[in-house]
Amino acid sequence: MSKRKVKETHMPVGECISQVQMILRERFCHQRLPEKPVGMESQHKHLLELLRRTAVHGESNSVLIVGPRGSGKTMLLNCVLRELLEVKDVNKNVLPVHLNGLLQTDDRIALKEITRQLNLENVVGDKVFGSFAENLAFLLEALKKGDRSSSRPVLFILDEFDLFAHHKNQTLLYNLLDVSQSAQAPVAVIGLTCRLDVLELLEKRVKSRFSHRQIHLLSSLSFIQYLDNVRSQLSLPQDFPDTNFYDEWNDDQSVVDVLQRHYNSSKDFRSLHLLLMLALSRVSASKPAIKPTDLLEASRVCMVDSKANILHGLSILELCLIIAMKHLNDIYEGEPFNFQMVHNEFKKFLQRKSHSIHNFDKPVVIKAFEHLQQLELIKSMDSSTAKIQKEYQLMKLLLDHSQIMEALQKYPQCPTDVKQWAIVPVLET
Amino acid sequence: MVRYFTRLRMRRIYKWGGRPYIFDRKLKSYGFEYLNMSVEGQEAVTTVTPGQYILIEGNDDEYPFVAKLLKFFGDESHKQKKALVQWFLRLSEVPQNKKLLLGRSPHPQEIFYYLGRACDNEINAESILAQCPGCGIIKIYCYPLFLHNFDAETPQWALEVKVESCVPRNMTRQTALLNTRPLNPEASCTNVSGGNTVQLTNKVSPARHKKSLEHEKPSKAPPSQNLPNPDDAGPGSNSGLEKELRNSVCFPCFLIQVTPSTPRHATPSIPSRTVPARQPGNILEEARARLHVSSVPESLPCREQEFQDIYNFVESKVMDGTGGCMYISGVPGTGKTATIHEVIRCLQHASDMDEIPTFRFIEINGMKMTDPHQAYVQILQKLTDQKVTADHAAALLEKRFSNPAPKKETTVLLVDELDLLWTRKQNVMYNLFDWPTRRHARLVVLTIANTMDLPERIMINRVASRLGLTRMSFQPYSFKQLQQIITSRLNKVKAFEEDALQLVSRKVAALSGDARRCLDICRRATEICEHSTSHPSSAGLVRMNHVMEALDEMFSSSYITAIRCASLQEQLFLRAVIAEFRRLGLEEATFQQVFVQHRALSRVEGLQPISVSEGLAVCQRLGACRLLLLEASRLDMLQRVRLNVSQDDVLYALKAVRD
Repeated sequence: MSKRKVKETHMPVGECISQVQMILRERFCHQRLPEKPVGMESQHKHLLELLRRTAVHGESNSVLIVGPRGSGKTMLLNCVLRELLEVKDVNKNVLPVHLNGLLQTDDRIALKEITRQLNLENVVGDKVFGSFAENLAFLLEALKKGDRSSSRPVLFILDEFDLFAHHKNQTLLYNLLDVSQSAQAPVAVIGLTCRLDVLELLEKRVKSRFSHRQIHLLSSLSFIQYLDNVRSQLSLPQDFPDTNFYDEWNDDQSVVDVLQRHYNSSKDFRSLHLLLMLALSRVSASKPAIKPTDLLEASRVCMVDSKANILHGLSILELCLIIAMKHLNDIYEGEPFNFQMVHNEFKKFLQRKSHSIHNFDKPVVIKAFEHLQQLELIKSMDSSTAKIQKEYQLMKLLLDHSQIMEALQKYPQCPTDVKQWAIVPVLET
Repeated sequence: MVRYFTRLRMRRIYKWGGRPYIFDRKLKSYGFEYLNMSVEGQEAVTTVTPGQYILIEGNDDEYPFVAKLLKFFGDESHKQKKALVQWFLRLSEVPQNKKLLLGRSPHPQEIFYYLGRACDNEINAESILAQCPGCGIIKIYCYPLFLHNFDAETPQWALEVKVESCVPRNMTRQTALLNTRPLNPEASCTNVSGGNTVQLTNKVSPARHKKSLEHEKPSKAPPSQNLPNPDDAGPGSNSGLEKELRNSVCFPCFLIQVTPSTPRHATPSIPSRTVPARQPGNILEEARARLHVSSVPESLPCREQEFQDIYNFVESKVMDGTGGCMYISGVPGTGKTATIHEVIRCLQHASDMDEIPTFRFIEINGMKMTDPHQAYVQILQKLTDQKVTADHAAALLEKRFSNPAPKKETTVLLVDELDLLWTRKQNVMYNLFDWPTRRHARLVVLTIANTMDLPERIMINRVASRLGLTRMSFQPYSFKQLQQIITSRLNKVKAFEEDALQLVSRKVAALSGDARRCLDICRRATEICEHSTSHPSSAGLVRMNHVMEALDEMFSSSYITAIRCASLQEQLFLRAVIAEFRRLGLEEATFQQVFVQHRALSRVEGLQPISVSEGLAVCQRLGACRLLLLEASRLDMLQRVRLNVSQDDVLYALKAVRD
């Protein structure tokens, strides 16, 4: 069907595909906000109402939006802001200030950023801001001069709110929340965080000034809804010029399996988008639709164990050392080991069992050992590395048994005696 | 304290001039005709004679006091040098409320005749800096319109007007026109003492004032005839002005012309909105606006006793012109700052009514500064509008509070969040509490903090001792008080059911007694009530169920919901954590150990086991929302895992999921 339509409008398949990819990529990379946030209608209404009151009535408010990563906190807020700014009265009347706890790592930077975003620097002309103290006094002065009915409401949006609570004395939070609780310029303080215990981070005075409004975004999405969502995410908008890009994959059992697995692991859309993005990248002119195999492949890429990949790239010697460590772990029940112990174990194997591997010089083995350390497959347990000789530094293995065994199975042309050794340790006789 | 001078100080030499005459036989004091002043190392000699305007050394080097010299006198030895002066106020020294009474915007360099008796008009002649009449960069311009009040001195003023007729004409007229604008009736009504005139000072007794007023009425015409400006001197316009003058302010107004300086700090402000804020439309919105913490209530119920105590304390200090400290403690949201503001509002009203002397109120907040030493800077800036560094500010304040100075009014200093002014040497706190004990300081310090035993806990002895024993603690509100607070705020706006209010106040009183919390919950309840009905205008009273919902929202823990909404693998991981804890008998396990359990559990559940990387991702997600507490992730599989929720809660949540 799609091909026929393409012919009708005389659009080459390649062009069509690139259009499709563009639209879907926009969606998956969060460049475009969805029309309406899914599954959070009540929260949306609550937040919109709250901010509308700040914008229209000049009522100061503070609110926290709490939800796990990828649950759509920012998306919700942006949707609300978009809707709010569409209102004519509001459009010119609010001053949003965006702060992020990861960018504004202390109050000094945060204050600079606030004054910049509020365009307050213009007030003093070319005067360069002096100290932090002046900056704070300046901003507080500015906010204090305003009043409920005449000055523009300021929306302070604090992304990663919990990080602001780690600032010294929580000065910024205290002042913002204090303004929101006193008759000064109307402000709305909106915090976004993924920590459920965020209120416990606040100092008691700061906490008392916070209004204790929390909007929780916890998705209670069932699998059926999740599938619906996948479908809607993949379907193209009505006004798409050419094709109605449609898949028959949803009947396919294997795809449902893959998605079920993803759903079990996490419900957030960001990981789903990642998966779909990988599948989408495989669409090309010669293969103009997403096939179940694509999704399977994408899922495999997503789910792959990162350390198994590293293990595949190791040399036989390094692999042998890992096996020796595994045995040491078995013998000493997870106690740390040092190079000398590993080397002894390895030598025992060489003497008693090995047919294919010959003896290595000690420096070569040390080199291999150090390489493993660089790859962070083993980790030093001592903090002060300088004092102890390299050979006697205590190490721990950062690999699970299952990972080692799996890697050995897949290792290309692994000598059988090594495989054997991995299963049965060399016994003392 | 080391004296701290910014500039190299020049030594001035003062010498009496003219013939001494016996001024008071009994006291053996002599009067002198003039005083010669010279700067050491320079030849030039300035002579000041009584009747001249002089600048007198004060707290602020840039703005010395202004006064008119009346008389010089000293003792037999001729070493003692004293002078009698009539003080004048700069515009910056005039209290804000008096400026408003003026009813016009005065010229920034205008000076005002000072009638108060709060300060000594006998000064040390060696504090005279310079003379300032009509020569040099400083000129005094006199506006005869405002002279009527001073019957005795009228001729002199008039004389000076003649001397200073070099006033730029247009300027005089402009200002004169400004001056004649009648006061708005409200402003004059606030005055009780003067009847229909408003006095700059508060110490003038009504009787004397009235007398002087009557006295001067006939003598109004002569000074007006001495007007330098012929336009204003016309008899027709003059009589009209006179009529207005009866209802207007009678200040002597002068302009001191100093070389103009650019304003040092522009005051910033948030841009104003294009559309005015909408007013509340229905009862619920009205209630919400009234319940907002920021709205200032008509009265502060339930804190009458505390109010009275603080009021009496501050009032007595202001009346006596002494100083003192007070420490006020209480948990957040018990109305400490609000009560003090209320006290100050009342006192300021009283001082407007001339019942008590005027005083300055200054407020600093430990949380609103970046460093404890900024306290000095902020105090100084609010006192004198100077902007200096912390060290310099400390020195200036020290000087200000320890030296006797004429024309000093009491300063009431509120230090909020005192505990944040703690430094290792505690010098900030020490100074704050030490200044009030100085003889000439006239400083009342009110301090606020949360803990009752703060002086014992963090202050060293010498600081705690200076703070004194005037303490007060604000108890958390009881449920009855909270209820009363809400009712008084609502003030007959019928938006709540009685029972609903009682529930909120009981709940909050049981938890914290924080009035802010109480108000916030009520506000949220009105919102819920509004949303529960389809049409906002038809919404009725806020009922029990609305309040219950609001309480639930604010106080319920979200952990259980979070666990229920977690994905299957996350729930499985939590179960694995608990299983591992049980096996170990500890409340802590490494990820590796938990992961073994996790794999076993997923086999039992018939799920495909996940890889280690995925397991770590699951673990990190749980750690990010703090259901688990994790070590740094660089430890990889060896990072230790702890639960941030009780095991019972986890099991309860998971059990409910499976059912």
